[in-house]
Amino acid sequence: MMLRSMFIALPLVLAAACGDSTGNQTKDAAVPIDAGPSDASCFTDPRTYNELINACTTAVKVYKDSRPPLLKTDGTLPDLPPP
Amino acid sequence: MTRLALLIAIAAAIAVPHRAQAADPACSTLPNPVYLQVGDTQQNLMIRLGRALRDNKLPNGDPNPITLVFITSGSCSNIAAIYPPTVPIKVTTTMKYIQSKADLGDDMWTPTTPSLTCTLDAARVPDIANSALFNSACVDGAPPATVHLTQGPTQAYVMAVPRAISTQTAITFEEAYFVFGFGTAGMIMPWIDESQMYIRTLTKSTLLAWAANIGVPGPRWKGQKFDGSPMVVGALEASTSPGAIGILGAEVYDGDRTKLKALAFRAKGQYAAYYPDTSESARDKKNVRDGHYTVWSPTIWMDTVDAGGLPVNPTARYVIDLIAGKTVTPAQSFPMIDIVAAVGLVPICAMRVNRTIEGGELTPFSPPESCTCKYESLVDTSSCAKCDATSCATGVCRNGLCEDH
Repeated sequence: MMLRSMFIALPLVLAAACGDSTGNQTKDAAVPIDAGPSDASCFTDPRTYNELINACTTAVKVYKDSRPPLLKTDGTLPDLPPP
Repeated sequence: MTRLALLIAIAAAIAVPHRAQAADPACSTLPNPVYLQVGDTQQNLMIRLGRALRDNKLPNGDPNPITLVFITSGSCSNIAAIYPPTVPIKVTTTMKYIQSKADLGDDMWTPTTPSLTCTLDAARVPDIANSALFNSACVDGAPPATVHLTQGPTQAYVMAVPRAISTQTAITFEEAYFVFGFGTAGMIMPWIDESQMYIRTLTKSTLLAWAANIGVPGPRWKGQKFDGSPMVVGALEASTSPGAIGILGAEVYDGDRTKLKALAFRAKGQYAAYYPDTSESARDKKNVRDGHYTVWSPTIWMDTVDAGGLPVNPTARYVIDLIAGKTVTPAQSFPMIDIVAAVGLVPICAMRVNRTIEGGELTPFSPPESCTCKYESLVDTSSCAKCDATSCATGVCRNGLCEDH
């Protein structure tokens, strides 16, 4: 039962993460660009910062799968070391 | 005796012109000198604009020469030079200026021709100071009432690696944070050797712009600090390490692409990394213009104003307005946008995003009069329709191309 709930909840969480933050933005369906990951969506009428930097473009995209060793488990950055 | 006098006279005749050529003239004796202290990222602009202004003409064809007399320094130092209490350029400073066509014809002169030098009569506050980033990145608070700020073309910054030995193509916001904020301890391969991280000193726009974009304050950066961009270029070119990485103004990188390679940058929250240009080989700055490449700053041009807000030196303001792409009176005799595009800057009229603080979030931007078609025709191939005065199906005919507005 618990496992089933997780299977239901996880896609919802991921879907929410892919959505916009204001709820009134136009988000396109994912488009295949430069063999990028399947969730590489883009925006056709960008208005916000997040939409502008992820707007649809014909420019070359470089995808990099990187997880720095010191990144926190929640994906956030640690503080800089003391000077 | 007569013979000796003759020899002396001949020797003097030979020596005097030689000495006159070798000695630097006083800058004040040059035609309409305007004194500038600019970032070293703006040196190429000074060279090309300086050349054009030496032979500038009025619309009726009469000469209207202006001599840009300049030195380069860090953006924060340049701001300090013109903000009260001001830091005058020392009288002992060797100033640069560019040859007129009379000095050296177009068949002999190129932008790499060494500049001429002149001497100051006295220490002086520059007529124009330039910061290649928002002034607020250097100083707190509003600018003083005696200084007028004008936003000029956009300056992009890159992280570059040695082309021949580095296999890297991109760096993410998070990686850059660890590379330059933690150094070796950041464990970001292959950038783990702090002696191979070539950065700039604290007053430089290149460092401060990157600092704002990756969240590592300038004083906390790891790496070797260099005073000038040429030193970073030299260090990258000389490096034999695949872990070498340096920060540069995009126009500096553009001048050395055969040996260096810019990394695509993925900003925080971005799905992919992008070059400043459409591709690694393009020179169109399209990703700067539309917001996909986030590491850029406006260039800020400062001059002194009187109590009524009018420029103390109208010729200095004329030069600033030219750089900013404004219509000037009398009109200049050369196309300013060609110069801006040639030195790797992006005119405001070609930008479609803007920001208000260094590294701040981008917002959509629409200039009063677009020059995107013209700019693209200079740096790439414009897809815009050609036109005469009335033949655009949509948009406005400007410079022979149908601009969208």
